[in-house]
Amino acid sequence: MKLAPQSVPYRALQKVSGFVVVAFFVVNSNDWGILPAAGAGGAILLVALAYEIAYYQRFEYELTDDTFDISSGVISRREREIPYRRIQNVDVSQGVIQRALGLAAVDLETAGGSSTEGSIRFVKPDEATRLRRELQRRKSAASSDISETTGDIDETETAERDEFGPAEEELFTISPGELALVGALSFDGRLIGLLMFLSSGSVPVLSGFIPDASAIALTATAIVAVGALFLVSWIIGAGVAFSNYYGFRLSQAGDELRYERGLFRRYSGSIPTEKIQTLMITDNPAKRALGYASLSIETAGYAPGQSGEQGSQAAVPIATTDRVYRLAHEVESFGTPTFSRPPKRIRWRYVIQYTIVVSLLVGIAFAVNWFVAADLPWFGPIVLLLAVPPAAHLKWKHRGYWLGDDHLLTRNGFWSRTVTVVPYYRIQTVIDSRTVFQRRWNVATIVADTAGSSSLTGTSAAAVDFEVEEAVELRETLQNRLQSAVASHRSRRGGFEWFEDDVDETTETAEKTERAEPTEQPGAVESESGETAEDDAETTPDVPDDGVIRPNFSVNERDYSEPAELIDTGKNAVDRFPSDADVAHRRDEPEVQAERGDEQSEREPEAAPESDSEQDDSEREDEAASDDSDREDEETPDDSDREDEAASDDSDR
Amino acid sequence: MTEQSLHPRVRLVWILRAMILAVVFSLPFAGAFYFGRLPVWAPVVAGGVVLVLGVTHAVLKYRRWSYEIREDALYLDRGVITQVRTTVPLVRIQHVDSRRGPVERGVGLASCVVYTAGSRGADVQIPGLTPNGASDLREELKRLAIRADGEDAV
Repeated sequence: MKLAPQSVPYRALQKVSGFVVVAFFVVNSNDWGILPAAGAGGAILLVALAYEIAYYQRFEYELTDDTFDISSGVISRREREIPYRRIQNVDVSQGVIQRALGLAAVDLETAGGSSTEGSIRFVKPDEATRLRRELQRRKSAASSDISETTGDIDETETAERDEFGPAEEELFTISPGELALVGALSFDGRLIGLLMFLSSGSVPVLSGFIPDASAIALTATAIVAVGALFLVSWIIGAGVAFSNYYGFRLSQAGDELRYERGLFRRYSGSIPTEKIQTLMITDNPAKRALGYASLSIETAGYAPGQSGEQGSQAAVPIATTDRVYRLAHEVESFGTPTFSRPPKRIRWRYVIQYTIVVSLLVGIAFAVNWFVAADLPWFGPIVLLLAVPPAAHLKWKHRGYWLGDDHLLTRNGFWSRTVTVVPYYRIQTVIDSRTVFQRRWNVATIVADTAGSSSLTGTSAAAVDFEVEEAVELRETLQNRLQSAVASHRSRRGGFEWFEDDVDETTETAEKTERAEPTEQPGAVESESGETAEDDAETTPDVPDDGVIRPNFSVNERDYSEPAELIDTGKNAVDRFPSDADVAHRRDEPEVQAERGDEQSEREPEAAPESDSEQDDSEREDEAASDDSDREDEETPDDSDREDEAASDDSDR
Repeated sequence: MTEQSLHPRVRLVWILRAMILAVVFSLPFAGAFYFGRLPVWAPVVAGGVVLVLGVTHAVLKYRRWSYEIREDALYLDRGVITQVRTTVPLVRIQHVDSRRGPVERGVGLASCVVYTAGSRGADVQIPGLTPNGASDLREELKRLAIRADGEDAV
């Protein structure tokens, strides 16, 4: 399918507009006159139009059975296929001009990469909505295909769903009062900096007008100026927040969340609930006092704040605290959290930290005072020491974590308090870190990393400054709960999937050992290998409750910092201790020694002697690689025996 | 598998890195000496201090580093100043690389990089493996990851 035709002039103008501004200045600074300038502008516009027409003709998207295909590109052409199952979010946005022209931009996000995977600029709004619906429908069909082995039932199901569409249940609509509150409470500190920077340019100009103003007048103007800066930045912040969240609406339809918002630029989109990684409930002292909080929903697709000031697309900007928690429970049903705090003694650590900061400030003030040789009250910051104990207490008080049935909740921060909800199932890695100072206090920090992208800014779920024993226990617990969560997800999906499909992709050496595994029942070939006596004891397969025998994940004792030992049989090299096999270390096995001795005498001179352990590793690797491919074709009886043994050993486990 | 330490030769790689850092660090001092602003010992001392610190760090780092493939996770313990213990569940492994940088090739070592979809510990590097060891470890992790079924890696 094609883009909307009116996207051609819009895109061309969009491209050229930046250039026009530059051209304007160029024309102004030279005296070419208006005619050549207009001519040049027209020529550029024509080129842009031609390019956009070509782009329009090349750009095509298509909804196939299991992928969304986009082929695009004028100069370098690109064909892209996005599997429906991998699509994380679908976002539709419309700017003011785009709305007037009847255009909408569609963005598809997948988990990989930092940029948007599929961006369609632009289609008609109806088409955008249709695309979103259709993608969602196909996506849920694709993922339920996985869970249900019978596809036919599914077909009818999705057909039905298509006719009626999933019922949309409204979760949250912003009220005018809340919208006003969002505006009032969104004070952006960065704006002050920007305004300060901009207005600092006018200071020399202004000071020219007030050469002999008194110190009091100067101070007064300074205070007024700072006040004005605050006011202006506050109004700008409020305006931005107001236009961003105007008409915010969050609803649930089937297994996806839908949102809509924006005054000038309309945003709408859908987030599949199964792709949600973490929830974050944030508040600050002002919001806490008024009983409000905000909620943001994070997926692996995009980072909240990725697109500048817009923030998370599906964030509930503000709502009463209990409503936020009800909403959060709607999405992820965690229980009522009771946070456990770090040990009380850790408050002393914060006291020390803050005292160091205060003394640094005093030091800087003193240095400045000394440097400019003025008589400033450099000891002023000492007053801040009074605030240190309450600050330390508050910092401690607002830290904590809680282990729910299916979720880990962590809480951090006083000024911007964030409660992060991480389902165990979403944990990627668990990191336990202890700095030098933390070690002195015998505490540790546990971070549960998820695929959500905002963790880069340091907002991933972290239990900070807990007793080492508690931290280690927490780490183990998280790891175990992740495993059981994955297991239960798998059994809920009902499928017991072996990885036959993947075997083809694996390399040849690995395939050899794996071939035996999936098909044979563990324990079926025990008797064939000689050393299974003790293996039996530990690896007797017991059938779990769900009747599915899973492979034993026990791993070998191989030390990978040592090279694999090669046994030379004259024709080819064999990994004596294959990584996959549970072969015990048999360094002094006589027959191998003897065999090696025999073979060595017959070997060609250029082959390096095997016994030389300091032999160049890369050379040995090459040798192994080339011998490996030989092995495929001609296997000596010796080799195949050993390999069988290896394979059977492996399947035993 | 029990806890594995790295190949001792990895210290060479780290010490070499420390030496390069020491040279880079002493360059401005050398420049100052060249223009007659500093006495001759200044760059030597600056470089020497960095070198000693770097070598100590390398030795301690080697002592500290260990990794282990447990039943369902890869477990790493490392870090001198900040001790970090990372647990990478095998289900979460996206892909595994084994790689050899120029310095590593020089001393005949290789390293293995494990990628997850996470944002913070997205890639975990295990340095100080022999080339065969690295590719074996890669194969082993790949096998275990496939077994653990990374169907839902995100």
